[in-house]
Amino acid sequence: MVDFLIGLFLATLITALFTSRLYRLLFWYSLNSLTLGLLALVIGARLDDRAMLMTGGVTIALKALAIPYVLKVLSRRFGLSRQTPPGIKTQYAIMLVPAILVFTFYLAEPISHMVQGNANYVAISISSLFLSLLLMIEHRNVAPKIVGFLSMENALFLLGTTATRGMPMLVELGIFFDLLMAIVVINLLLYREEAEL
Amino acid sequence: MMLFFLLLPPLLMFVASFSRSPWARKLLPVSSFAVLIPVALLFRLPKPYELWGRYLVADDLNTYILLLSSIVGIGVTLALLTLDRHVKISTKALYRFYRFFGLFWVGLSLSILANHMGIYWIGLEMATLSTVYMIKTNRSAAAHKEAWNYMIVGAIAISLILFGIILIYAASKPILGEQAMLFDALLIKAREIPSPFLFEMGFAIAALGMFVKMGFFPMNLWLAHIERASFYPVAALFSGILESGVMAGFFRFSRIAERVNYDHLFFFVFAYTLLTIFIVSFLIFRAKDFMRLFSLSGIEHMALIALFWVSGGSFAALLHFGAHAFLKPALFLSTGVLESTGRYHFAGALRGYAGLRGKLFWFLVGLFMLAIVSIPPSPMFFSELYGFAAMIDDAKSSHHLLAMLGAIALLLALLSVIFYRFVAIYQSMKYEGEAEPKKVYSSEVLALTIFAVGLVALLLPSSTAFLKGIG
Repeated sequence: MVDFLIGLFLATLITALFTSRLYRLLFWYSLNSLTLGLLALVIGARLDDRAMLMTGGVTIALKALAIPYVLKVLSRRFGLSRQTPPGIKTQYAIMLVPAILVFTFYLAEPISHMVQGNANYVAISISSLFLSLLLMIEHRNVAPKIVGFLSMENALFLLGTTATRGMPMLVELGIFFDLLMAIVVINLLLYREEAEL
Repeated sequence: MMLFFLLLPPLLMFVASFSRSPWARKLLPVSSFAVLIPVALLFRLPKPYELWGRYLVADDLNTYILLLSSIVGIGVTLALLTLDRHVKISTKALYRFYRFFGLFWVGLSLSILANHMGIYWIGLEMATLSTVYMIKTNRSAAAHKEAWNYMIVGAIAISLILFGIILIYAASKPILGEQAMLFDALLIKAREIPSPFLFEMGFAIAALGMFVKMGFFPMNLWLAHIERASFYPVAALFSGILESGVMAGFFRFSRIAERVNYDHLFFFVFAYTLLTIFIVSFLIFRAKDFMRLFSLSGIEHMALIALFWVSGGSFAALLHFGAHAFLKPALFLSTGVLESTGRYHFAGALRGYAGLRGKLFWFLVGLFMLAIVSIPPSPMFFSELYGFAAMIDDAKSSHHLLAMLGAIALLLALLSVIFYRFVAIYQSMKYEGEAEPKKVYSSEVLALTIFAVGLVALLLPSSTAFLKGIG
């Protein structure tokens, strides 16, 4: 089940890279967050870790439902362009994504032997981080950059969940709080975008 | 209770920002001054002093950094009183600036006092996000673009730090459990970490995030452009408080990394800082405005602090750190007056000041300009002497004495390029150009005087003895 969810997590992120419509991008981000939340719930249930179960629930409520909804509302209010064509052509991106995956598996190889649990999870977390960076780089529009930033948070969350079997509750709550603050700041920044996009 | 009093001035600032009374703004410098009372009390308490369990612990190092950042906070609050007389800013935007400044200050205070890697990161992230809006207070297109740039690159830097923290936590959790998040616990058990490679990988990634945040290679111009596009108090906050907070984390992480593998730590930091100073020195040589000049000089100083710290010259690093924390915000806050006749006019910037306030202003700014390039008796002169001595001492105990001497020679050559540029600019400011009248306000002179007093206080025997004791 964990393998399936991690695979789905990676697949949704890769699909987001090739998406050229804003709402579709938000949908893939939402699905990406949903798999992350489910993953935390499954691992939490397996380890009987109540903190991780709570984190999983908050992740689904906040990242899979609330944030995509707020972003959709903001994009409507500020009239953001719904066309978000990636800057890198699809044929090049198709080659780039496996290259990143192979590179990160190679990069994480010495680390993976030292981590508790499945070694490949760490490699997938690192590759998700790079893919999120790629999502930020390949778009000129603001909205996909915001989704890239949020996906990067998801990648870090995945690393925390799989490599360390959960970060302390205090840290995870702090990350959620910062995420909410990021949305407030993005809202303020978008006031100017209204005229430009 | 102590923590409440430490956070009270920034929280009051946050609350006052919702009030539209002009008195609220005028009272803020007074409430900011009040932060010195709990900080002074903290100096007298036995260390380590637990402010919030083992999560927030005051020791000599972070109490010193907290004092520096509090003084910078006071100076910036004073300078903000006259911001609207130098730049075009609406009342609403100014109050919002105060609001985010309050959050920024709270975040950095938590980071500085953190004994917990997670809280350190949360505080830093909070400060980063608050800064985005402070940059955007300037309604220009350039500031808007740089606010987004800061949001994106800042988020990448912060994510790298968190990534590093997770790896460090993963490396140490088998022996420490959840205590692997605590700096003091990690320091005690550093040599027993079962997977040092994982720890070092985590440290390198976290350090890279911190270096990017401070504008080290390859992000030198990124920071300079952001500071140029924002109002000058933002740059003062960056150099005086944000960089102090980031550096506080670097001090803590590197102390642990030192025990894991000193050679790896030294080589990594040495190569990175040398490369940064190499590039920055030439960028300083080409700088054509005050903001970029001071910003790039700040990067050079932070690189030197990191270098001295890992070379074992903790006294040199902390003295340099203190001098930087006072000098750079003072110069950034002066920029509002220095650029009265235009952004790219060095010539005559120190001329045209009338009255006692004006004369005191140009005298202090002149002193700061010369102090920043380590002309004695600037604390930076002594810190560099001690720092280079520490580097040689460090090399003597290894097989790399010749390489170290070569590196020091290269550093001196690069520093002399910076020295030449600053002295040339100072001469142009004082002896060239037209003496056009410029307006200086009392609150600005008071802020500069506070920084000057702080600078002199760093050289007092009791201060140097305290810094030597931190080690």
